Amino acid sequence: MADRRHRRPTRAIGLVGVLVLVVVAGCSGGDDGDPITVGLITKQEDNPFWVTMREIAEDVAGERDAELISATGESDVDVEAQVEALREMTASGVDGILIAPNDSSAVVPAIEAAREEGIVVIAVDTPTEPESAVDALYATDNRLAGELVGRYAQARAERDGIDPRVALLDLAPGIRSGELRREGFLAGFGLEEGDPRIVGEVYTEGDRAKGEEGMRQLLEEHPDISIVYTVNEPAALGAVEALQAGGRDMSDVVLVSVDGGCEAIKSAVRPGDIDATAQQYPQNMAREGVRAIADAARGGETPTGFLNTGVSLITGDAVDGVESRDVAFGVRNCWGD
Amino acid sequence: MPFVLLVLCFAAWGAAANLTDILVGVFRSIFDMSNFQSSLVQFAYYGAYFALAIPAALINRRFGYKAGVLTGLGLAAAGGVLFIPASQLLVYEFFLLALFVLAAGLSILETSANPFVIAMGPESSATQRLNLAQAFNPVGANIGVLLGAVLILPALTSEASKVIMSPQELRASQEQDLALVLPPYLGIAAVLVLIWLLIAFRRMSVPVEQAAVAMPTGGAARRLWGNRHYRYGVIAQFFNVAAQTCVWTFTIIYAQDVVGVSPENSGWYLQASLILFLVSRFVMVYLLGILRPALLLLVMAAFGVACCLVAVLSLNLLGLLAVVAISASLSLMFPTIYGVALHGLGDDAKFGAAGLVMAILGGALLPMVQGGVMDALGSTALGYVVPGACLAVVAAYALFILRTDRSLGGRDLASAV
Repeated sequence: MADRRHRRPTRAIGLVGVLVLVVVAGCSGGDDGDPITVGLITKQEDNPFWVTMREIAEDVAGERDAELISATGESDVDVEAQVEALREMTASGVDGILIAPNDSSAVVPAIEAAREEGIVVIAVDTPTEPESAVDALYATDNRLAGELVGRYAQARAERDGIDPRVALLDLAPGIRSGELRREGFLAGFGLEEGDPRIVGEVYTEGDRAKGEEGMRQLLEEHPDISIVYTVNEPAALGAVEALQAGGRDMSDVVLVSVDGGCEAIKSAVRPGDIDATAQQYPQNMAREGVRAIADAARGGETPTGFLNTGVSLITGDAVDGVESRDVAFGVRNCWGD
Repeated sequence: MPFVLLVLCFAAWGAAANLTDILVGVFRSIFDMSNFQSSLVQFAYYGAYFALAIPAALINRRFGYKAGVLTGLGLAAAGGVLFIPASQLLVYEFFLLALFVLAAGLSILETSANPFVIAMGPESSATQRLNLAQAFNPVGANIGVLLGAVLILPALTSEASKVIMSPQELRASQEQDLALVLPPYLGIAAVLVLIWLLIAFRRMSVPVEQAAVAMPTGGAARRLWGNRHYRYGVIAQFFNVAAQTCVWTFTIIYAQDVVGVSPENSGWYLQASLILFLVSRFVMVYLLGILRPALLLLVMAAFGVACCLVAVLSLNLLGLLAVVAISASLSLMFPTIYGVALHGLGDDAKFGAAGLVMAILGGALLPMVQGGVMDALGSTALGYVVPGACLAVVAAYALFILRTDRSLGGRDLASAV
């Protein structure tokens, strides 16, 4: 690790977010003797998902004799910081950029400008709109993630003789990753839109407090809810709090989620409050992304298309016919602390 | 020079023994196996030690210690070399075979090297030589763990990356990871071959036969078995070795599975355990001069049980530190049980010692039980009920000694320990 700099917000950038520059292993590695530089733009760094992604990107850049420049927004909606980071990275002549868009459409003009300069751009975790705006997308197969927990919930209900009264705690209207997870869950469980077994549905924005509030409202309307789908683990943890506050015996409820963060795996999946979660891997998004850009910069093929970065069903209560990994696997491969 | 080489032997088997503790988790990751399957590493290793104990004595009696040392060195080196075809074939069972051969050689070596060290110089300094040589065993043990922690664990392919690999990529990653296992064992094999050559072609004046390896008579065996202090002592030693092997086998796995410590950092907790074990030994020697050995054994066994319970119930760093702390309780057990069980046996003591050493079988069997419990209950932490139960047996033995014969629990045993 030759040099590591943290740049404080500049006047322009300070208005819209935080830009952090991290330079890793700044040694010459390209065929032409120029150093290879990879840019990484994450959504924000309060969420350990993005911290893990940056840390792995740093490690892999070091292994590949590349420099990593990273930038991040202040929140999941901080688009301006990302656009500014794209412009700066383009101006500095990076070889490639990995970006997790905070807004799938708003970042596209800056991405197009980068690609016009010959910079390879890979979207990680979240697709752009249109998807063709980038060279490639490296992300979780969100539909598959939903399908895995849907199949698990259905199998558990069948095994335990549970009458399915399904509650859906979704993300928000129009956000594709949330829609795909929901579609996958319904398909995995064997539910059609409007199925009478779906007794209620709320939007949580993936937020713990909104997950708790939404679950509380649904329980008031339908106290017999027995299956709970949550779009992510913060929403799931909120739902657990509402169910426990409502006096529900958690062994009578099958609650499933998507994410695979350490907090939820250790505090909720391990004791069985969350029955199963679909674990996604920011490590793979970062690793494969940095490798692809470094390889392309050294004369290899330019990355294209969609790379599924993997998803595994984690549960402490496996059911026949549904492939899963145990909680220990989940702990070993979770992100965050 | 020959003495220096034998000292290297003591270090080599310490290194090999504790490198296997690392291998259990490594093979589990590479072959994507259950905990029970991966614990077969210890079954192969300690099973070989048990199986070869008597043949080793017979080799020494029939051909002399030099032949025993050379046979042990040769067999152990062959075991190390067998890692080459094993890593090319990518067959787990082949690795178990290599480990069995390696451990078989080390078993013979260990049986032969102690008397060899005594016989290779003046009688007046024999004890000094033996103590010096044996001091290098824990040094080797720490080097073994260090080799694994530095060379193997940090470089393993991450499990997350395997999730998206094709079958061809998975096989390539297996080859790459198994290639990491190879160098430490080839290094050990190379050292053993070098020692073999230097000893084989050097004229050494050592006794061909040794009366001490004579086999027990039926009368001695009956007398020993009829002695409850000895009989229960063998059982206690079996469970002590079992507890030690269980704890060290699954320390790295506990760190990774329960706390989420990264592979590159998890090896340091096993290293800390061994260092604590070493330091505690000196502390225990001091305490044995103050307290009755059986009483200290009871206290430390109870402490070990308490640590196991913390490991089961506290699924965080505290639990991991409790796992490390168990090594403090283990540090005095083997020599203390050895001394207490053999106390007052007279001429039967030398036969009785063989029975206590063969209690090493506990190290072969109980890790499989712990692995099976972890798999069946789906909890790495709950597996620590197994070493906890083992240490409870040791505590019960200490209590039995204290209650049945005050002289056996007395301070006069400190010298025996």
